[in-house]
Amino acid sequence: MMSTWCISNPAQGRYVGRMFWAALFCVVLSAAAALGIRYGHVTGVAAYLLAVLPAAPIVLALLVTGAYLVEEKDEFQRNLYIQALLGGIALTLSLTTVWGNLEDFVHVPHLDLIWVYPLFWIFVLVAFPVVWLRYR
Amino acid sequence: MKNRLRVLRAEREWSQGELAKRLEVSRQSVNAIETGKFDPSLPLAFRLARLFGMTIEEIFTDEDRV
Repeated sequence: MMSTWCISNPAQGRYVGRMFWAALFCVVLSAAAALGIRYGHVTGVAAYLLAVLPAAPIVLALLVTGAYLVEEKDEFQRNLYIQALLGGIALTLSLTTVWGNLEDFVHVPHLDLIWVYPLFWIFVLVAFPVVWLRYR
Repeated sequence: MKNRLRVLRAEREWSQGELAKRLEVSRQSVNAIETGKFDPSLPLAFRLARLFGMTIEEIFTDEDRV
């Protein structure tokens, strides 16, 4: 069963490699945008462009995920991953909705929207073993 | 959907890993199909049938059929 947790075919290897670069790209652009706004005193159109910049690797990561689902020839593995993605979406939307309500109703600390994207991937990682256990 | 995969595999003395290799899928896929937790697509069912030299109906049982 352990091979489920490892790279078990070329499509998964390519996916992990591409996601590594997409994640790195995301961290670099997010940091560049944050530093540009904080220390570069960027305003106007440039500020809007800097705000949009970190979305590029997010779109890239989703394209990479789509490419993996196309390239994955093992339909069972593909099924597991789709379920984990749906689990990640469900958990992210639920948590952010509940948190938003809590901010309004009981004044819990504000959750910056910038955390939604990393939270999604954390929840996908959480969902994957849960999905996997269903088929043991 | 019920199937005779475990029996057919045992008759040929193949492990799940061996069958998975012949089908070019993961061992988890074979296990999930064998235990009836995952129904294969038609192309994979045909690959299984070809591998065992049988028809799909001889391997898989349609439980809804009266």
